[in-house]
Amino acid sequence: MAFVKAQKSRAYFKRFQVKYKRRREGKTDYRARIRMINQDKNKYNTPKYRFVVRFSNQDIVAQIVSASIAGDMVLAAAYAHELPHYGVEVGLTNYAAAYCTGLLLARRVLKTLEMDEEYEGNVEATGEDFSVEPAESRRPFRALLDVGLVRTTTGNRVFGALKGALDGGLDIPHSDKRFAGYNKESKQLDPEVHRKYIYGGHVAAYMRTLEEDEPEKYQSHFSEYIMRGVDADGLEEMYKKVHAAIRADPTPKKSEKQPPKEHKRYNLKKLTYEERKAKLIERLNALNAAAGDDEEEDDD
Amino acid sequence: MPAGHGLRSRTRDLFARPFRKKGPTPLSIYLRTYKIGDYVDVKVNGSIHKGMPHKFYHGRTGRVWNVTKRAIGVEVNKQVGNRIIRKRIHVRVEHVQPSRCHEDFLQRIKTNDKLKGEAKARGEVISTKRQPKGPKPGFMVEGATLETVTPIPYDVVNDLKGGY
Repeated sequence: MAFVKAQKSRAYFKRFQVKYKRRREGKTDYRARIRMINQDKNKYNTPKYRFVVRFSNQDIVAQIVSASIAGDMVLAAAYAHELPHYGVEVGLTNYAAAYCTGLLLARRVLKTLEMDEEYEGNVEATGEDFSVEPAESRRPFRALLDVGLVRTTTGNRVFGALKGALDGGLDIPHSDKRFAGYNKESKQLDPEVHRKYIYGGHVAAYMRTLEEDEPEKYQSHFSEYIMRGVDADGLEEMYKKVHAAIRADPTPKKSEKQPPKEHKRYNLKKLTYEERKAKLIERLNALNAAAGDDEEEDDD
Repeated sequence: MPAGHGLRSRTRDLFARPFRKKGPTPLSIYLRTYKIGDYVDVKVNGSIHKGMPHKFYHGRTGRVWNVTKRAIGVEVNKQVGNRIIRKRIHVRVEHVQPSRCHEDFLQRIKTNDKLKGEAKARGEVISTKRQPKGPKPGFMVEGATLETVTPIPYDVVNDLKGGY
């Protein structure tokens, strides 16, 4: 059917109701968002914080966000591309990196709120289910996990970030059902398996099998790891050091940015209202002057 | 079969969402806070089925007397027979918006407090009462020219010519 009459008439467009912008972009689930943001009215202006975790192809974003009518306010943020400061440069989107990012965010938030002494969290990552205990003076910082549009399967990296934040000392209501290493049959979390994932054990195992069986594929797949001298056995040690470095200094490092380069302007700059009025007056004066001259010539 | 007088009878158009505003409600509705004593307008959002007031209260304005987890208690005046009763209803926040009936008064409070403070600093006593608009002041009429209008004598011949 090549030549069909145009289906979408003017009437169609006049009646068309666009979905919200972020729904059109496929980035926000408004049904879930309403339920997450809704604060009890009898709690008035108490903010409700969300622990937002989003994955891109090369980066992880972890933020603590509270909603307001002007827009969401981000209390603190941590990115996987900051992890090179703490000692991990490759594999920035794996389960272990997600754990590190969650941990970094938690320590950062607690430091800005001056609660980091009270709430150490779980210093030694064992993979067991850990929940913060309330200390004497202040209650722990509470946030709700916001996964976005991700399918929440067991072993998903968002739960790696969740585990990092929990071990960092945040109070996030959760269950261990979706951590890596949860056994559906026995309905129990195997802390050993979870611990393996937190320290990149699954990556190390794959590295070892590839090295033995398919060395060329190992060279191509883990080329960045090889270039930096990271091998399967050193992975756990590396992540232990990273966790310690994060706990030591979670403050964000400000990078020096040059002012943006001045580019040549290829199109005309828009004039302001005053400039346009002034131009009009000039033109009218010129016209009147020219007309005046012509009249004088005619009269003469 | 007769029409029936159920809870939502005769609300087909009243509770309908406006043109091209169907579907999810904007989030700012959920982010507003209400305190006891605020004035609110009750305006039903037909897409939220819970916590809907009766159609009588649609378009009424009342004061908040209670705040619960998801709903607001509003005190609305209703005429029943020969008297007006103050009715207390609970309505979910989606069916309520802050009323601007009181806005002018609250603005006036702010400006008056400021003016009184400044006057006190200067040591004067001012009145911040609103005055009604008085009669217009007297004025001289400008640019008036006198034109005397006199009748012209009736001319039978000329006037009749126009007529035939």
